[in-house]
Amino acid sequence: MTVPESGRPTRPRLKPRTFLIAGLVLLFTIYSGRQVGFTITTFWEVWSNPLWEKFWPVPWEWVLDRHNVINPLIETFQIAIISTLIGCGLALPISFIISPLTTPNKPTYLVAKGIMNVVRAVPDLFWAKLLVTAVGIGAFAGSWALSIFSLAVMVKLFSETVDSADPRPLEAARAAGGRHTPAVRTGVLPTVFPSYVAYSLYVFELNIRASIVLGLVGAGGIGRVVEAQRQYFRFDRVLGILLIIFVIVIVIEQISVALRKRLV
Amino acid sequence: MICFDNVSVTYRGGVKALRNLDLTIDDGEFVVIVGLSGAGKSTLLRALNGLVPATEGSITVGGVEVVGASAATLRQVRSNIGMIFQTFNLVNRTTVLNNVLMGRLSAVPAWRSTFGLWPAQEREKAMQSLERVGIVEKAYVRASDLSGGQQQRVGIARALAQEPTVMLADEPVAALDPVTSRQVMGDLQRINQDLGITTLINLHFLDLAREYGQRLIGLREGQLVFDGDIADVTDKTFQEIYGRSITDTDLLAVESTE
Repeated sequence: MTVPESGRPTRPRLKPRTFLIAGLVLLFTIYSGRQVGFTITTFWEVWSNPLWEKFWPVPWEWVLDRHNVINPLIETFQIAIISTLIGCGLALPISFIISPLTTPNKPTYLVAKGIMNVVRAVPDLFWAKLLVTAVGIGAFAGSWALSIFSLAVMVKLFSETVDSADPRPLEAARAAGGRHTPAVRTGVLPTVFPSYVAYSLYVFELNIRASIVLGLVGAGGIGRVVEAQRQYFRFDRVLGILLIIFVIVIVIEQISVALRKRLV
Repeated sequence: MICFDNVSVTYRGGVKALRNLDLTIDDGEFVVIVGLSGAGKSTLLRALNGLVPATEGSITVGGVEVVGASAATLRQVRSNIGMIFQTFNLVNRTTVLNNVLMGRLSAVPAWRSTFGLWPAQEREKAMQSLERVGIVEKAYVRASDLSGGQQQRVGIARALAQEPTVMLADEPVAALDPVTSRQVMGDLQRINQDLGITTLINLHFLDLAREYGQRLIGLREGQLVFDGDIADVTDKTFQEIYGRSITDTDLLAVESTE
């Protein structure tokens, strides 16, 4: 290769390895589709199923009745609020403990890390089933399951923010003779707190959606109504509920996005 | 009094930052430390308050041994030593007052500072430190909204709030413009004279060192290569400390406005 007189290097060519990897990804995708019987025609067959006709028209009178939908929806909100508070509340100290920058000592780090690994290893739907079995069907089980779910998500998100926080104010706090906890509180928390609030809002958003899913396994809220109507094949009612949830989720998302923008 | 007795610091990875350093500094001295980057200036200051543990030897501050000290002893020693940093090390997202209150961490119970319940007399001390560096009107402004020179003054106020007997300044003006640099150096000099706080400053501008220092210490590859009165220092002294001739980049160059 000759270097032009201007001294500018020529644009590097894509490596053969790049094409090889792209080819392998494509081949693997096709192979996986074949194995599960996925073809465009089967996909079309699903959509031409007469089941879909049962979704229309939406019985708005039934859907907008307080007892049928609104009260369970309020319960969903209550589950989401309490779980966000508990999960995000616990996530604050745990995130500081499992972050290398702010961990107080090795034993505490190992215990907290161990707990978080167990929490994360169990899927949230399974937590819900487990808790429904343990404390009975209803919002109480749902709140617990979602608290655990919130904790897992929040620690994952927030501890990364703590990891990347500026270590220099912390050094200043230590140099001033501060104990560990006050040093972290005054030297690191103010820097990461806006992210903490922003992530908590995001977790609340996730919880509204997740509490719908959790209802399917008997953990209270609007999900239980969706599941019951599905079992009666009242898909028209199901669609009505889903449309309402759709609107609510969008509204909450907009509010939360607007609040987060002002925070960070 | 500060005593370094045969102090060595070896970092993990084998880098020897300080080698067999012997040094005695009397109360109230104003000491400027010079040397090339990597000569061990920062390590010397950080070994003194235990932020970097000395691997060998003995360091005493006011008769208290720092090397191998318990966490409680170390906090006690640190509470008497204020530290000022090249990059100010302020918490940008909180107020100036909250930053200065960090200097009072060792004076209040952990639960109080953790919940932000600072006693009124501690707030008063923080305000007084801000007054001493002439920036008290910014007490409730976010630290990130200040200029570099103002931020360094907040850094000084934070250190002063500790009511320290020793002040360490690690390249305090390296991030500032020439005029602000002189103001900050003047602040440090005044504090040393008014309050009798023993002051150790790392500098890399040799003209600033000559202008403000009383005693000069030269480090080279972790060893003490010069220790004497600033009045006896010539360009040749600096050349010997640096092991090369002095260039324009070693000088702040702008003349003092006084």
